[in-house]
Amino acid sequence: MTKDSSVRNKVLPTDLLSKSQAELEAVPDDELVTSYESMRDQKAPEDETYPNIRRLYGTPLEREKDRREVRARADACDAEMQEWYEKARNQPCTWWLKNHLVAKHALKSCLACGVCTAQCPAAQYYPEYNPRIIVDAVLSENEERLAELLKSDTLWYCGQCGSCKPKCSRENNLMGLISSLRFLAQLKGYHLHSVRGRQQYAMRHLCGGNLWNRACTLYFRNVDAANHPDFGPRYAKYHAEADTQMVRLGASPDRPGQFGGRKLPPQTLAEFRACVAWGGTLALWNQLERCAAEDAKKNGVSIDEYHDRVHREG
Amino acid sequence: MPTATIPSETIKEIPKNDFFLTPSCILGAVNPGTEVLISRIYDLLGLRWKTAGDRAESKCTCCTGFSSHGDLITIESTLLVAARLWSIAAEMGLENITTACVTSFAIHTECLEMYKHEPGLDERVDRWLQQACGRRLQFPKHVVHASDIVYDNRDALAQKLRYRLVDHRTGRPLRIVDHVGCHYAKVFPEKAIGGAESCDVLAGLVRAWGGETVDYPERRHCCGMGFRQCAIRPNRGYTMACVLKKLESMAPWKPDAILTNCPGCNLFLDKEQWAILQMTGTEYNIPTLSYSELTGLLMGWDPYAVVGIQAHTVPVEPLLDKLGIPYDKSKEWLTKEPVEVM
Repeated sequence: MTKDSSVRNKVLPTDLLSKSQAELEAVPDDELVTSYESMRDQKAPEDETYPNIRRLYGTPLEREKDRREVRARADACDAEMQEWYEKARNQPCTWWLKNHLVAKHALKSCLACGVCTAQCPAAQYYPEYNPRIIVDAVLSENEERLAELLKSDTLWYCGQCGSCKPKCSRENNLMGLISSLRFLAQLKGYHLHSVRGRQQYAMRHLCGGNLWNRACTLYFRNVDAANHPDFGPRYAKYHAEADTQMVRLGASPDRPGQFGGRKLPPQTLAEFRACVAWGGTLALWNQLERCAAEDAKKNGVSIDEYHDRVHREG
Repeated sequence: MPTATIPSETIKEIPKNDFFLTPSCILGAVNPGTEVLISRIYDLLGLRWKTAGDRAESKCTCCTGFSSHGDLITIESTLLVAARLWSIAAEMGLENITTACVTSFAIHTECLEMYKHEPGLDERVDRWLQQACGRRLQFPKHVVHASDIVYDNRDALAQKLRYRLVDHRTGRPLRIVDHVGCHYAKVFPEKAIGGAESCDVLAGLVRAWGGETVDYPERRHCCGMGFRQCAIRPNRGYTMACVLKKLESMAPWKPDAILTNCPGCNLFLDKEQWAILQMTGTEYNIPTLSYSELTGLLMGWDPYAVVGIQAHTVPVEPLLDKLGIPYDKSKEWLTKEPVEVM
């Protein structure tokens, strides 16, 4: 982490909540992290809740804190998988297909029968999507064709349902193969060529932000009525009183507990983060940040604007 | 034993006790009652089970499933997160993982399977796990979904239920369409009761509890949750289209309810019915329940304070009227303002 804090007026932790990433740049790493954590761990005097979690999630502050924490953690970590993924970025696509743990076991052989495509829900919705063609591109071992696939929108259409798997006479794992290819697309920065691929930056801070900060992929406040107008007014009414309804039902919104919405103790979060880091994931998250910063600059927008834009584009 | 409804190759061994329950991110976020109900059902059955740690010191985390299928986390990180949970389960003397989420079921199963296909992976993961958090890799004996356990105990539960899947006014068996989660039945079909084609994990409950099942044409079609498809708003048309396809397919049978075992399916088959009404003008209004919600309702547990039907977009009360289950509408909402419902 950088420590070059010049003499400044010390900001109160809550002051950081309304700041953009550009404004937060001047705040040193340790102060940013400490401020975030002190706000997060501040318990309400009247009950067992941690009311600032709801104020912090999804903010530019949380994203900036995550960027710096992940960068520093990756720099300090000598995990062999992190190194493996960083090196893999510069290898040919065919190397990845033969060496990535998921990709190398995903395809046994292919009869080109097309049953994967015939019953694929995504192929029914997106006429240009065809998982059989993806398999064909992989089996071609043609670098140019593979790069074109990794830069396409169609790569991102798979719904990861696995409907293809029980149908395939060769027991191929297309769901795993496609996910592996998407991973490679991001490592190589090819996802920036596709509007669907660019959405990964929003995913990184939505699901990845929840993982890093709350050790869950989905935080109950993400599923609010503003983000889900498709859920209708009855759900909006429910979500407006989600905290009390959850407590009534035995869940633990922003408080210690065993079920939905629980705030995990620091040791659990630390162990979870260590597992994420030792598995090499931070190499991807750092690469997504580099790509997003570059693309935002190219488009003349701030990183916060870029984050919001890729969330809405599609 | 093979039955008329379950092919012999898809009979699986379901452990009877000692369960380590892993919670679900989606259930906890959108249907919190559904998740807690699993623990109530386990208690009702007198099973030995635990989650990780006590209330203040929960050690249980996400399995990474949503992020794994959202292409945000490496397979090695997922292996480590699963291995950490297995290590905690072993520490607690529990040899069977039971998941509240079907994607967790597929993730834990995939992790277990991966060790069989990749020589030396166990040694590497064990080493990394020690380096990451000082734990050791210990394999669970079984990985099962919570609906497997309910299925295995369906006859015992039938003896305890206060209500049956019958219209109490006419004696007509209620017509229930099932929708089995893709990550329960399709990713490892040999691990699903009845496999991907003839999955019986939900239909078996309906039969045992007095209802009638329907094998509608798009029964095996995905709900369209799709991870990145539902999470990013511009992609959500895919989810809605899949739900519409299923609703159109099941509607001619006039189902009384949809029964699910997947958090995502339970969410979208219910909630997208409102958007579909707005977009197409067709009002399907088919209540959607998880197996644990259905069990809770048939047990006579409070629909609002225990089961949590108020979290549903399609009102469940018309189904309660058919079942003869009493409810106090004034207990639905906790605030005083009147609410408009569809």
